[in-house]
Amino acid sequence: MSTHFSDVQLDALRELANIGSGMASTALSGMLGRPVDISVPVASALPLAEAVEAIGPAEQEVTGVMLGIIGELKGSVVLLVSPEDAVKLCAFLGVEADSEWGLSALGEIGNIVGTSYINALAAMTGFEIEPTPPATATDMLGAIVATCLAEHADGTDIALVLDSDLAVEGDDCSISFLLIPQAGGVQELLGRLGIEA
Amino acid sequence: MSELMARMGEYAVSADRDDVLVGLGLGSCIGLALVDRRSNVAGLAHVVLSKGEPAAGDPPVKYAHIGVPYLLEQVVAQGARKMRLEAVLVGGASMFVSKNGLEVGQRNEAAVREALEKLRIPVVAVDTGGKRGRTVRVYMADGRVTSRLAGGPEELLLKPYAVGVAA
Repeated sequence: MSTHFSDVQLDALRELANIGSGMASTALSGMLGRPVDISVPVASALPLAEAVEAIGPAEQEVTGVMLGIIGELKGSVVLLVSPEDAVKLCAFLGVEADSEWGLSALGEIGNIVGTSYINALAAMTGFEIEPTPPATATDMLGAIVATCLAEHADGTDIALVLDSDLAVEGDDCSISFLLIPQAGGVQELLGRLGIEA
Repeated sequence: MSELMARMGEYAVSADRDDVLVGLGLGSCIGLALVDRRSNVAGLAHVVLSKGEPAAGDPPVKYAHIGVPYLLEQVVAQGARKMRLEAVLVGGASMFVSKNGLEVGQRNEAAVREALEKLRIPVVAVDTGGKRGRTVRVYMADGRVTSRLAGGPEELLLKPYAVGVAA
């Protein structure tokens, strides 16, 4: 099966990501006690080979927090934070980034932000979905993103990535936020939103 | 020197001493190098999954069971001798420890090894498993293969081929 998406479909997915990241930013703002801005999400349907470089340089070091989505729609939510921004986020929460508390604090940020995103998706689509517990890794961006893409790459030649940014106001600190749904489920999701190909 | 990139599901093949074949940021994926150091021909495949049904627009080496024989054909077409090929495997990590038992990396390595065994190509060096991502490089100048972790130095996996010395 070759999976392609029309502009109308990508618009609908972008809107979905927009609402989801709106909820996520509210959750992050509550956690940090600071205002958080969201960017307009980018919805890309790309050949697998091009997906990593669309997100960032493959060898750049990042911390990734990954939550699986299970239930009627399968996929992953991934938060990516640069090492500098990881230090800032941890400082907002009063912990050292390179202590064991640091990684667990970032995991908790990922958990709360990712879960509110997934809950927003569930509320909008009526899908019965829930997040799996967060897993964190600090490594090459390519290795983190490719591993998440690979989990949903079977049976489709297109990687669908919805990319938003959450920026902590006035602090030059941002989180890149990816939703990588399994291809088959996306057609069903679009169907529920009343969007045909 | 030019770097030929093998991105997810893609491969690179060369018989040019100026080239370096590169697989950047391998996580659960496997970078499979097939090297004929005497003929100075090598190929690098960026294998994503162990097996499955290829989609219409899929790149050729996405799946191990199709990708390994495909890479063999490509290096032979460039002048490699099958008898002399050596395989090096890099990647197959478990970046995120998951409870659902979906260890894509381990399955990828097993599938690539199985395909190589069928083709009777020996695996001469590996840097696989664990929790860390890696970058693999194949230097056509002398046939050496290296692996690198995030922020770390390049480690030699397959030694340079001594030109002029009989194998």
